Amino acid sequence: MTTGEAIVFGVQIWGGIGLFVAALFLFIGIDRIDEDAQGAYVFRPLLIPGIMLIWPLVLWRWWQIESGTAAWLPRYQPVRQGHGVAIVIMSLVIVVAFVTGMSVRQTWPEDFVPQQLTKAE
Amino acid sequence: MSVKYIPVQWNPNKWVYDAIMLAGVALFLWVFLYVTPETLSHERPINAQVHNARAFGACAFLMLTLTLCIGPLARLDRRFLPLLYNRRHFGVMTAFVGLTHANYIINWYFAFSSTNKYDGLITSNTSYGQLAGFPFEAFGIFALLCLLILATTSHDFWLKFLTAPIWKRLHYLIYAAYASVIAHVSLGILQDQKNHFFTVVVFIGATAVCLLHILAWRQESAEAKASAGTWIDVAEPGAFREGFAKITRLPSGDRVAVFLMEGKLSAISNACAHQNGPLGEGKIIDCLVTCPWHGFQYDVLNGQSPAPFTEQIPTYRLRFEDGKVQVHPDANAPGTPVDPLPLPTEATSNLEVTP
Repeated sequence: MTTGEAIVFGVQIWGGIGLFVAALFLFIGIDRIDEDAQGAYVFRPLLIPGIMLIWPLVLWRWWQIESGTAAWLPRYQPVRQGHGVAIVIMSLVIVVAFVTGMSVRQTWPEDFVPQQLTKAE
Repeated sequence: MSVKYIPVQWNPNKWVYDAIMLAGVALFLWVFLYVTPETLSHERPINAQVHNARAFGACAFLMLTLTLCIGPLARLDRRFLPLLYNRRHFGVMTAFVGLTHANYIINWYFAFSSTNKYDGLITSNTSYGQLAGFPFEAFGIFALLCLLILATTSHDFWLKFLTAPIWKRLHYLIYAAYASVIAHVSLGILQDQKNHFFTVVVFIGATAVCLLHILAWRQESAEAKASAGTWIDVAEPGAFREGFAKITRLPSGDRVAVFLMEGKLSAISNACAHQNGPLGEGKIIDCLVTCPWHGFQYDVLNGQSPAPFTEQIPTYRLRFEDGKVQVHPDANAPGTPVDPLPLPTEATSNLEVTP
């Protein structure tokens, strides 16, 4: 198995597990942990792609809510404190990426005329 | 208290917003494909597949740039707030446009070989040790993955299920996605440009995103530093209206809604426990403030929903100082009762009482 095949296989496994978690969560879990979802079924298919992508996080939150271990305080802690760091890092990476892209860009001679290397038969 | 989930919560404003957005996307694609091939340096595209791929790629870049500009613009100038309220739909549409771009690329460049096309996408170029000819596709794949995570977790359910802090941290992926898109574009299509139009567009877009974010962040940081650890001014006593709130931003970035009810002031978190709706934009009905988003109600004296409901939000302490109402930035635990602060007599004499 090549590296590429292994990565594609890994993605398929991830998605397969995600689909299984989605079925389990949407048929059983969601009614147990969220009263707003009880009796609401039309919106549930919309959640499938998200669960397939982040199913470990879904399982963790499901377990937290079911077991009552989720602390109330973090729900109210401000999240914008890390915002400055995020945008500074983003800006630096953008500058590096753009400058790098420009520095390796090749330019062609203005007066270059295409030449046929093999004779037409 | 319960509001059942529905697939998409539309209202007349959102219909208008989405219609304008879709019309904008269609117009952009039409202009790109049929009006300006010479300007955009693709007057002789290899085929329709590549032509479409470039159009959708350029559209996704522009949409992502605009999406990212909306947040800091709204923080710097409140007139941009209407754009912010429906940004989620913009983001979801951006992910779809990006996905279409990827599909055109994969189904042309990697579809005509015995190798699986996704395998081919990953392994056709593995020159990770050099900058010229670097496999820029990797940046595009990462950015698309981020956009898909953001789009698929944009439903209201996710905000409540993950809680606002986790959901917002997850959605910081937008910054990683944008930086990755710039790398994807800089090491990809910009390497092949014989005119500099796209280069200029990318430069302006990226500069706008970085500058706006840094400006908004600096402004908020300066405000926070000026008032760190101290009581925060809310307003003068005469500025309050019976039954309504004044909203104040704390140094932490959170917002407090200070309500006037029966001549006394009470402060609660501006974020509804249901889905972070703006409580301060609601009004007091029957001694309870009602969230304008889904109708959740709270007693402003203690931040508790009326029985039999159990939702609770934090409360805050208030005082008068130097002729102004001030709030302490440290939140009380959700549901903590706080004695309301009576307005001074001279302020209550000017009160506008709404029926």
